[in-house]
This record gives sequence, structure tokens and C-alpha cells, in this order.
Amino acid sequence: MTMPTVQLSGLCKRFGSVEAVSDVSFEVYPGEVFGLLGPNGAGKTTTIRMMLDIFRPDRGSVRVFGKKLDEDAKNRIGYMPEERGLYKDLKLESTLVYLATLKGMDESAARSRVAEWMKRLDLYDHRQKKIQDLSRGMQQKAQLIATLVHEPDLIVVDEPFANLDPVNTRLALGILEEQCRAGKTILMSTHQMYQVEAMCNRIVLIDKGRTVLYGEVEKIKRDFTTNAILVEGQGDFSKLPGVLDLRQENSHWRLSLTPGTPPQTVFRALAMRDGVKIDRFELAEPSLDDIFIAVVQGKNPADVAAEEGSHA
Amino acid sequence: MRKAWLISRQEYLNRVRQRSFLLGTLSMLVLIVGIMVVSALIALGGRDRRPIGYVDLAGVLHGQSAAAGDGPAVRAFADEAAARAALESGTIQAFYLLPQDYLSRHEVTLFYAKDKPGNQARSTFDDFVRNVLAEGQPADVRQRLTEGSRLILRSLDGQRQIDPSNILDALLPFFAGFLFVLATMASSGYLLQALTSEKENRTSEVMMTTVTPMQLVGGKAVGLMAVSLTQLAIWLAVAVVSILVAGQYIAELRALHVSPGLVLIIVAYFLPSYALIAGMMTAIGAIMPDQQQGQQMAGILNLLFFIPYLLAAIFLSNPNSPVAVVLTLFPTTAFTAITVRWGMTTIPMWQLVAGWVILVAAAAFSVISAAQIFRIGMLAYGQRLGLASIRAAFGGKSG
Repeated sequence: MTMPTVQLSGLCKRFGSVEAVSDVSFEVYPGEVFGLLGPNGAGKTTTIRMMLDIFRPDRGSVRVFGKKLDEDAKNRIGYMPEERGLYKDLKLESTLVYLATLKGMDESAARSRVAEWMKRLDLYDHRQKKIQDLSRGMQQKAQLIATLVHEPDLIVVDEPFANLDPVNTRLALGILEEQCRAGKTILMSTHQMYQVEAMCNRIVLIDKGRTVLYGEVEKIKRDFTTNAILVEGQGDFSKLPGVLDLRQENSHWRLSLTPGTPPQTVFRALAMRDGVKIDRFELAEPSLDDIFIAVVQGKNPADVAAEEGSHA
Repeated sequence: MRKAWLISRQEYLNRVRQRSFLLGTLSMLVLIVGIMVVSALIALGGRDRRPIGYVDLAGVLHGQSAAAGDGPAVRAFADEAAARAALESGTIQAFYLLPQDYLSRHEVTLFYAKDKPGNQARSTFDDFVRNVLAEGQPADVRQRLTEGSRLILRSLDGQRQIDPSNILDALLPFFAGFLFVLATMASSGYLLQALTSEKENRTSEVMMTTVTPMQLVGGKAVGLMAVSLTQLAIWLAVAVVSILVAGQYIAELRALHVSPGLVLIIVAYFLPSYALIAGMMTAIGAIMPDQQQGQQMAGILNLLFFIPYLLAAIFLSNPNSPVAVVLTLFPTTAFTAITVRWGMTTIPMWQLVAGWVILVAAAAFSVISAAQIFRIGMLAYGQRLGLASIRAAFGGKSG
């Protein structure tokens, strides 16, 4: 069995009277993109900080690359925190080289790698400028370089797209996808669910410091799938067998099925009906956004299904 | 270790390349050289090489003269009128009149035209009179009479010796200590700046996933101490050269010497004193939300180190007073108290050892506590760390 890159077991952390994290456990495997989700104040950043040995947990254990986080392991991690920044009064190139050498690179290798990255991200001509003299977008690119220049095996990004303009969001996304294709393990904490759906294999959802959802994105979505189908096309979709309710939503129809009715029955009935043209026929899976909101509001898959059914 | 070294080097190079470092270093150099040049000019300018005259109505000096040496020549005049004529013509700078009853009253009258003769001219004449009066006495008696009394304080074990007649020797530890305390304060001030800017720049979180708090703070502390020591070395080198040059004109500077004991005590106390204040500055940097508030707090703390200078009058009147002893044993004032007292008294060995042990213990506590507060405080961006958080940090789980 593959050894997890990150293994958190029963992490707990209290700040005074506030229990920031309570019994959070999850594993991240090599090469996967893992989403750490949760509303504001859920304990995501505290969990990351415990994982990276910035805070020590009150209880629980952290293993990274199969061992306790040591200097060697730290050198294999690239971290982009939510609260990010660089030394404003220093020059861009020397700062990036300094940060790379702190990650274990020798200075000449760091210098050439930094130059490559700066050329790629159009920062090379600004390398002798002080960071405070760079635009915000340039500073964000520099932050990306600082995270990735030492070719980390584990990339931890906390709200990677926060405060990024659309151009830089696309750039950051492209670079993360590239890292993913290169087999790097990525742990991403974000609110942007569509990015999670697009990128993550598995997720953990934390709310009020506790794990409320954990697993593969596809399976979670299936678990939350209601007994309904979405149909897009032309023709009469009413009075189909096994359909309790028919509702138009934007360009498609939502068909709520009676319990026990398989979607195939409806599909066959539609196929038999004259004058019907079907452009899309799919299970009405909830989006991760819906699941996120539902779970944070304390609902489980059955509740969600019941809610969907009540529309009928 | 490599990472701490990289951080030290980075801090050192960043700081010494800053214009403020160059300006700070140069301005002190200008001050040192300026003081020496002015002192030498005063010594040279105030030195009138014209002879000193005398009229001996008491007949005790037998009309003898003395050639110029370090001081001016001494010339005899037959009567007051001749001496006055020489004074008015500017041939001599002044003349003394020894009355007939000089041997019973021991009083003389000094006549001068415009400027009173300097100390050197007057002491030259005093020495001349003593020498002539003591003629015929045994050599050792003559020496005692001409040199006057000389009190030397020596410790029972013979290791410490103080000669209060050499005021520069007494003041040297005071100034040397002051320079080192200044270096300590400067380094710790730099450290506070470096840590608060780490917090203000939001770089501490990335740094803490790369290095340990000890590597980060230790690396910065060592690098910035090296900055201050560089500055100090430049100042000392220039001061030594200036003293050597000025010593050509100022006799007291030639007699200046640095005792190995003073060097040892400065070395022994400097590092733990720096560790003590570095720990305090780290804690302030972690607790305070920005540089400005941090420096206000640091200013108050710095006063704790300067108390012996503020109470210099007490030290001067009684360097072994209970206040002086307590301040020698108190960690924040130990270094300054010892350097202030060093030139004035022989500090008992038990006080030197006890003061050092207490200082080292306090420094260790300061550094360990700072590391506890650091992890939590450095991530509290834009916030002052509350008492509850500090208590939590000391709970041992956060660090």
C-alpha cells in the first residue's frame, strides 16, 4: 500500500477557551490534489499550521513523508500561506535566491532556477527592483516562484487564488496543474469550489474544527445525489412514468423521480416518445458548493435528498 | 546550522549595505576623530613655550634656571622691574614672585600679562621649586617630594589594582562598557526591527515552515550582533589610532592602558547581556503589532540597562554602596554596573561570579520564553498579543 505523503491523526488544538481544531484526521497520497475545505474560521489554516510544525498540536500526530517533520522534510515542502508577503525592501532576485537556499538549494543552482522562473513569469527584467516597487500582480508571481523554485514534492497552498486577478488566477491554476501532472502532491485549501471540483481528487471538509466530510469528490457527489435527473432538449417531458415532479430550471428540466424508479426507465420512456429531442440527460448531482453549504448547515446526504424531494 | 548561517549572513549583508549603517558608522568616526583633533589642538594651542620667570626675594632658589623640557624653561630675574619688563616685552609668559617670608608663609604671587599660564607651565615651576628646595636631600626623599603622594588600591589577591591619580584609567572601563552596551542596544534594536518587519511583511509564516524559530531568531541575532561588532571594531580601531596620534600631544593618553581583567569581564558579560536583551526584543517583536509600538516598548526596556549610568553620582561617591552591589547582581544592570564600578573600586570576586551566573540564568530564561511566545505572536498579524495568548504560549503546547 502506498505510504501517505501527509498523515494527520486526531489533531486537536485549543487557543485559550476556543477549540480551533478537534479530532481532525486525513491522509494525502502521493500525486493527488487534495482539497481542504471549510467555511471561514473552520480551522483549516490552524490544521495546515500544525501540519507544517508552525503550531504544535495539543493532541494527535502529524507525519509528513512517513515521518515527523524534520529539516529534510521541510526542504521538500513548498508553502504558500493565505497571509503572504515577501521582504519589501529587498531586491527581487536576491530575495528569491535567499529563500531557495534556505530550502536547501546551493546558491548557484538557486540563482539559475530563479532566473528560469523569472523569465517564464515575465519578471526577469525587474529582478533588480525592490519588491515594494513591483506591482501587486508581480509580487504574487514572485510568491509563486518562492513556493515552487526548490521543486518541492509536497505543495501546500492556502487560498491560492485569493486576491488574484483573472490573469494571475489562470496562471496560478496552470502552474498548479502542471505541478500535478509532474506527479507532485498538492494540498489546497480554498473556498472556490469550482476550482476544487476541477482539480481535486479527494477532499476533507472541516467545520467548527471538526471533520464533517472526507473522501473522493466523485463519491461524495454521488452520496449527495438526489433521485432526480436533468434533461435538456425539446419536446414534451410531462407525464413520464416514475416522475413525481417536473420543474424548469434555466435551460433544462429537473425531473424528480418516485423512490425506486431508476433513471433508465425515464430515459427509455423519453426515447420512445415522439417529437422529443434530447441534448442532455444526466443525474442531478449537487455541486460541491451545494454540498458544502448543506453540510455546513448540518445536513447529511439523506437530508439533502429529502429536501430535494420536498420540491415535488 | 547551515540555515542559521544563511540567515545570519543575509541579515548582516542587508544591514551593512544600508545607507543608515554607513551614516551611523561614519558619524561616530567623525565624532571620535573630532574629539581627538580638538583635544590635541587645545593641548597644542594652550601650550605657551615661552619661559616662566621668577623673582626670588627669599633667596631660596639661588638664581638657578631650568632648560625647557616637556614644559617651558625657567629663568631667574634679579628684581621685579626686570621681570615686569620681560613680561611686557613678551619674552616670558609669566613670572612668580617669592616674597622674603616665603619659607614661613609658603605663598607666591603669579604675574601674567593676558592669559594665565597653563597647567603644564605652572606644574613645571612647582617641580623646579621642589627640586631646588630638596637639593642635598637623599635621592628617595627628593623623589617623594617631587612626585607627591600616590595612592594605589590593590585587591588582597593582587589581581586588581587601581591608581586613582590616572583619571583616564578610571574612565576607560566606563567608556568601554558604554560602547559595548551601546553595541548591545544597537544589535537588539536591529533585531526588533528585523522581527517586526518579518511580521509586517507577512514573511514569518513561510520562514517558519523553512527553519525553526530558534534558527530564525538565532540567525538574525548573531548576524545583527556581528553588524554591531563590525561597527564597534571600526570605531575602536579609529579610536586607538586617534589615541596613538593624540598621545603625541597629550601625556595622559600615553599612560592609558587596558587591563586584561577588563577585557575578560567585557567578553564574559557582553554575550549573556546580549542574549538577555535579544530574548526580550524577540518577545516584544512577537507581542507588538508593528515596529513603532515595538520600539516604544523597547525604549522603556532599554532604560533598565542604563540605570547605572543614571545613578552615576551614587557610584562615584560610593562604588561599593548597597545600590551599586544590587545593580551588579541584577541581570539587566549587571554589565553596566560592573563597567561603571570597575575603574573606581575593586569589585569582590563573589559579586563578579554571582552577577554573571544570575545574568546567564536570566538570559537563558529570556531566550526560552521568547521562543515560546514567538510561534504564536509572529502570526498574529496586525494584532497585539493578549495576555491570554501569552499565558497559552507559556502553557508549553504552542511552542
